[in-house]
Amino acid sequence: MVTPPVVTAPSEAWAPQTAIGVQDAVREAIATRAAIRIAGGGSWLDAGRPVAPDARVLRLDTLRGITQYTPGDLTLTARAGTPLREIAEATAAEGQWLALDAFATSDDGGSIGATIATASAGPLAYALGLPRDIALGVEVVTGDGEIIRAGGRVVKNVAGYDLTRLMTGAWGTLGVITEVSVRLRARPEVDRTLALARAGPAESAADVAAGLRTAAMAPLAAELLNPALAARLGVTATGSPVLLLRLGGNAERVASEQMEAGKLGDGAVIDTDVWRALRQCERYSPGAVVVRWSQLPSLVANTWRHAVECCAGSPEALIHASLERGVVRAIIPAADTAALARVLHPEDRPSGGPVFVGRRIAERLPARLWSAEPAPGTTDRLARRVRMAFDPWHVLNPGILGEGARDAADRHGGSP
Amino acid sequence: MDPSHSRPADAPADAMPAPALAAAGGQAGGVTPGAGSDPSPPIDAASLARALEAVVGPRGVLRRRSELAVYTADGLPGYRKFPSLAVFPANRAQLIDVVLVLAEHGAPFVPRGAGTGLSGGALADDVVLVGLNRLHRVLSLDPENAVAVVEPGVVNAALTRAAAPFGLYYAPDPSSQAACTIGGNVAENAGGPHCLKYGVTLNHVLGVTAVLSDGEVVTLGPGASGAESAGYDLLGAFVGSEGCFGVALDVTVKLTRAPQAVRTLLADFMSMDDAARATSAIIACGILPAALEMMDGPTIRAVEASIYAAGYPADAEAVLLAEVDGLAAGLDTDAGTIARICTAHGARTVRIASDPADRARLWQGRKKAFGAMGRVSSHLVVQDAVIPRTQLPAVLARIRDIATRHRVTVCNVFHAGDGNLHPNIGYNAYDADESARVDLAMREIMRICVDAGGTITGEHGVGLDKIGYMELIFSPSSLAAQCRLREVFDPERRMNPGKVVPVHSCREWSRRPS
Ligand SMILES: Cc1cc2nc3c(=O)[nH]c(=O)nc-3n(C[C@H](O)[C@H](O)[C@H](O)COP(=O)(O)OP(=O)(O)OC[C@H]3O[C@@H](n4cnc5c(N)ncnc54)[C@H](O)[C@@H]3O)c2cc1C
Repeated sequence: MVTPPVVTAPSEAWAPQTAIGVQDAVREAIATRAAIRIAGGGSWLDAGRPVAPDARVLRLDTLRGITQYTPGDLTLTARAGTPLREIAEATAAEGQWLALDAFATSDDGGSIGATIATASAGPLAYALGLPRDIALGVEVVTGDGEIIRAGGRVVKNVAGYDLTRLMTGAWGTLGVITEVSVRLRARPEVDRTLALARAGPAESAADVAAGLRTAAMAPLAAELLNPALAARLGVTATGSPVLLLRLGGNAERVASEQMEAGKLGDGAVIDTDVWRALRQCERYSPGAVVVRWSQLPSLVANTWRHAVECCAGSPEALIHASLERGVVRAIIPAADTAALARVLHPEDRPSGGPVFVGRRIAERLPARLWSAEPAPGTTDRLARRVRMAFDPWHVLNPGILGEGARDAADRHGGSP
Repeated sequence: MDPSHSRPADAPADAMPAPALAAAGGQAGGVTPGAGSDPSPPIDAASLARALEAVVGPRGVLRRRSELAVYTADGLPGYRKFPSLAVFPANRAQLIDVVLVLAEHGAPFVPRGAGTGLSGGALADDVVLVGLNRLHRVLSLDPENAVAVVEPGVVNAALTRAAAPFGLYYAPDPSSQAACTIGGNVAENAGGPHCLKYGVTLNHVLGVTAVLSDGEVVTLGPGASGAESAGYDLLGAFVGSEGCFGVALDVTVKLTRAPQAVRTLLADFMSMDDAARATSAIIACGILPAALEMMDGPTIRAVEASIYAAGYPADAEAVLLAEVDGLAAGLDTDAGTIARICTAHGARTVRIASDPADRARLWQGRKKAFGAMGRVSSHLVVQDAVIPRTQLPAVLARIRDIATRHRVTVCNVFHAGDGNLHPNIGYNAYDADESARVDLAMREIMRICVDAGGTITGEHGVGLDKIGYMELIFSPSSLAAQCRLREVFDPERRMNPGKVVPVHSCREWSRRPS
């Protein structure tokens, strides 16, 4: 292996159209010790993290298109840069859908490759699966420049060690995903959305969470919105929290669930398009900080309360909870520094509420604040060994997992 | 488990046939050191046994060949492999200490659950078998969050029994569920009939605490914390790693709420083709059945001639067993839709189980089909492959042609809704000519499944049995990448050596630049 001088000047982006083109880019990066910044749709490039300043962009929006779709198999294969919207259109024509509804700021919903690479999930995940449950196989260019395939196109597959799961959620740090195969679903005969206004104080979600657990229903999605978000989405004018319920199935079943939903609040059927608006709610707050908290679903009311208290005094903060998964997410205007401080340093907060003991994940932060965030489980021994095995020179998205200066040093310093 | 399985068609030459095993392994004196290492003096089995006895007591270690005979095969007994020792830790602390002792001695070892595996996974020559059946406690069960933490030796059905009082159950239901362990299910990423709707083991495991081959204990996945995962999905990588990555010390699983209502239907057809087309139509119609299983004529007749007779029409060429479950509201409508689709595709009759006993009987025929087939022939190859669902009619027709050409009888009993085929061939392993024909037929069947866009195993794993097929579906660099992942967990490749990925693919990887 040759060791040419380190390249530091930002260069023109690569825009490959095939996996081999991606491989060429990775090999070039290895040879020149350059860092690669993988860009899917570009809507959530780095979540604001400070990353290697000399990184050269590898665009994947040129690597696009559905390569295989047999509706009767309920599976689809697409190149990594294919926008989710393109897949949604192709599958809708057959009465099917890809149940990946990650939050995104872009109109086309982001690219399939980035959605798998970041393991982004949305309101449908509880009922229809996380990205790790939906991905069937991937083609990847690993950090040492090999093109590999893992998994396949069929819905059940235990052949070999599961590199598909390994690549899902690795943020491109083990390989550049160039193609993805996914499981599709037939669209339900009836797909109905209800908005239920919640009486009672905004910080209390206990009764709605408990009601949902015991109700005779299995919604496709159940999302609690704080009053600010409900108002933004135009689903209420009363200034109260709102429960959005998405019901799917045959007419009889949905009618019965709708009756049952009446026990949870006063509601109305609204346009299903509200889910698209919800997915893009970050747009209302450009540059906002986005954080989510999770712990046991039975404690979601505590998690909600924690989020509401953190955001107290930030009237524009948008908060919503995937109640059944126990995940609460907040979009906080960057100017609301007091709320931000409470989010990031809850221990400093004088509060009567229960202490939050779950996990906080930052989705988007100003660059200067990332240093205080713990790296998401990528620093332990096994994780470091995985990284070394698949990206020995740390050319792929260095810094994106908060591994920071140390790995950048590895890359420049020399031998893996 | 079913004692009648026998020699798989593609067994490597050194693994068969069963009667000729004597010289194959187990000069009880030597344990071969870890795969990756240079030739070094064989490990002193006597001193290793003493060290293990110091951990688990003298009764926890088996050394005599006669005692070890039970552990020379799994559910696919054509493979005979003699371990040099078997050790049975009584608890978690002992298990960790056992693995530490094995690490100190550089001894290769194989974890073993109930031994019901169907790919020759839980066995190897000259290794230490680590039996996990004494670790069989349900450690905790949280009904509100529908989560349980169990030891690896807990039997699949026992977990469901423990959850039942809370209106919960463990959804993945391999047909071997009365015997197989959660540890074995995790290692194989086991499936089952109801995985069509509910997903396979992977989709139900929230965390694993594992001891790695060097004795390090690691926690993978969020476990019972209920928080979201972050970082690499090493849990996802561990599930299905076939005992090569680590020994599961405990497993956190998701439990499922018992459905409000269930409807089970049996449709019978005069042709496999019709049944296959009905399957595709059901999948495409928007209803996701809890299960959708198919059995062909030879299987039906084997079942009906056995003690497991389920009332399937004995003259039918195929039956479909379909189940829908969930909320009671609307369920009869879905069942009715499925019945109509079956009738439209040529079903002679469609019958809906009248009560739970009737339902259990319909299922018994399916779950005991392997056993029933075993009664018809002296040996049985149980095969496992997956194809895209629309390919079912074409592939089933080609399997029929292959069977005719090689003069063998294929019994198909399988998870039709997933496209997960189990073409099984009953035969007499002592008849060399018949064995050779079975062998050829199986190879051709695997090849057409791969050509149809499928894969070589949907739930039984690669083990020893499918290792020769791995290169049909993976390139050398893809296999080398799998080796890399394995070496992250087990750098010396001491755990379950010689499984899953052909050894030469791993050498490929060693030429890595540095
Ligand atoms: C009649 C019959 C029907 C079957 N039906 C199905 C079916 O419907 N679906 C299906 O998927 N399978 C089925 N199987 C196959 C088998 O039951 C499953 O693969 C099961 O998961 C094996 O569990 P076990 O405890 O018997 O594991 P074993 O056979 O003992 O071991 C299997 C593998 O797991 C590893 N292992 C075991 N425990 C651990 C642990 N704690 N940590 C790490 N590795 C471990 C072993 O090393 C080995 O590689 C069937 C088998 C039979 C005999």
